[in-house]
Amino acid sequence: MSRPAARKRSSFSRSVFVGTIVFLSLPLLVLVLYSFNESKSGAWTGFSVKWYVKLFTDSPQLWRAFGNSAVVALASAFVATVIGTLGAVAVNWYRFRLRKYLRTLTFMPMILPEIIIGVSLLVFFSGIGLRLSLFTVFVAHVSFNLPFVFLLVLARLEEFDFSIIEAARDLGASDGQTLLRVILPISAPGIISGFLTAVTLSLEDFVITFFVTGPGATTLPLYVYSAIRFGVSPVINALSVVMILGTVLLTWSTRNFLKYIAAK
Amino acid sequence: MMKRLMIAAFAATIGLVASACGGSSEKLYLFNWIYYIPEDVIEDFSKETGIQVIVDSYASNEEMYNKIVGGGDGYDIVVPSGDYVSIMIAEGLLEPIDTSRLANYGNLDPAAVARIGFDPGNRYSVPFMMAAAGVSVNRTKVSGYEHSWSVFDRSDLGGRMTMLDDMREVLGAALKSLGYSVNDPDPAHIEEACRVVERWKPNLVKFDAESFAKSFASGEFWVVQGYAENVFIEYPEARRAEVDFFFPKEGMPMYMDSFCVLRGAKNVERAYAFIDYMLRPDVAARVADYLMLPSPNVPARALMKVEPNYDFDDLARGEFKEDLGREALKLYNDAWRRIRVGN
Repeated sequence: MSRPAARKRSSFSRSVFVGTIVFLSLPLLVLVLYSFNESKSGAWTGFSVKWYVKLFTDSPQLWRAFGNSAVVALASAFVATVIGTLGAVAVNWYRFRLRKYLRTLTFMPMILPEIIIGVSLLVFFSGIGLRLSLFTVFVAHVSFNLPFVFLLVLARLEEFDFSIIEAARDLGASDGQTLLRVILPISAPGIISGFLTAVTLSLEDFVITFFVTGPGATTLPLYVYSAIRFGVSPVINALSVVMILGTVLLTWSTRNFLKYIAAK
Repeated sequence: MMKRLMIAAFAATIGLVASACGGSSEKLYLFNWIYYIPEDVIEDFSKETGIQVIVDSYASNEEMYNKIVGGGDGYDIVVPSGDYVSIMIAEGLLEPIDTSRLANYGNLDPAAVARIGFDPGNRYSVPFMMAAAGVSVNRTKVSGYEHSWSVFDRSDLGGRMTMLDDMREVLGAALKSLGYSVNDPDPAHIEEACRVVERWKPNLVKFDAESFAKSFASGEFWVVQGYAENVFIEYPEARRAEVDFFFPKEGMPMYMDSFCVLRGAKNVERAYAFIDYMLRPDVAARVADYLMLPSPNVPARALMKVEPNYDFDDLARGEFKEDLGREALKLYNDAWRRIRVGN
């Protein structure tokens, strides 16, 4: 890749960018601040960690919703990663009829408005008589996670040299061995970022989940949504701070992990 | 490397799924308003009976109703407001309840129960909590007002007042100010009420049911229509005396949320046990303390530790919101749309 020659740093573009970032981070700052507020109301009355204590010791329903979210996110991301990776390998290397259409069709859930996917899944589930539960949420999440994994793995596959695979075959590797020993390790960064993207998308999804959730299957975004209708509880603020920290930690470790993989 | 990673991910997934599905088999599925029953009250029920209560929450009757109709069966107990109780009875969504099987049913205030029109005789519903939206006035900013809906006519308070973004509450207030029923089906009366609201509208900042309490607490809004619990949860406790919460003398719309058992519920016996537990005076008192509302449970009132935001007798002026029926509902909707859109 070529880079433009270094120019004098433009102070205009930099200040616009910095200003935007600050503006975008301010609400988060306010959120962090208010999670330490002693009073429930908007007025600052004093420093307190009581909302964190309540969050960790006295919010079983919130944690159950969090558990549901975690289960659905990991399970759906895992299944979507397996299917999406196999699909990307197939579409990239094998020539078959309707290949182009299949590729376009895979992107549909990504392009369509979420609300349409939510409604159509709900109609479909009740049409085939499947009762709404955590399982239907899982199925819905796999379906909207799939194109993202597919796209990320496909991008990785498209840029690598096909002669490596020919070399593997020349040296006597079987189809299965080529897949496990050559294709998968090379596309690992794509697969891992696909998996993590899927986890993130699943954790934050509200619209589709809202339609397909059933008894005992409240996820964290649904819980937070119904909670804020009655005013933002400081416990939700505390939870958000914990989640921001968790995300930062996860992103940081993932970056290092990906660097490690890439270096290998 | 890759293989080990996959196996680890798979094992973690299986473990999480197993832990989510595990636990005792004695379950009860409750679909309830968010923040309506304190979580420790439900935990104590589980400790006493060994029944695990799976709670999902909703924030409006419409949300609950659409979930139930749209295939969200599997719940045992729901807690609709009065008008939705009659809608759900009419659609055959509810299981009849035999109140003679509830040992604590007699604790409910007979006077309050007698006023119920949405399910006469309580054949499908067991009353839980009863409350109404009122008017909150910031005493430090406003003086010389009457405890009446006419406070919204004061143009000197223009830009400082809000009403709820709720058709039944606002039109109900207007109907009451004219001396009609909050369930009045007469087109002429609805038209009159619509004109009253249009007269109030220029003085209002907005119709808001969500964030008005924050602005009221910060002193930006001075007169708001709303539920006492929403207003007081935001107001600094030390300055509570500044707030004058009242029910207008003309009367106001009022609601009763009731426990109902869904048709086809799998755990009917456990549902009875739970409803009876909620009617126990000590439990009802804990719920009322938590919400800071007066309890319709007579022996519970003596056990309350918190001073409720108003007295139960204040609700005597209220009138339950009932299901309007298809035709009247259309008139209300038309009036409300005209008010909101302004044509």
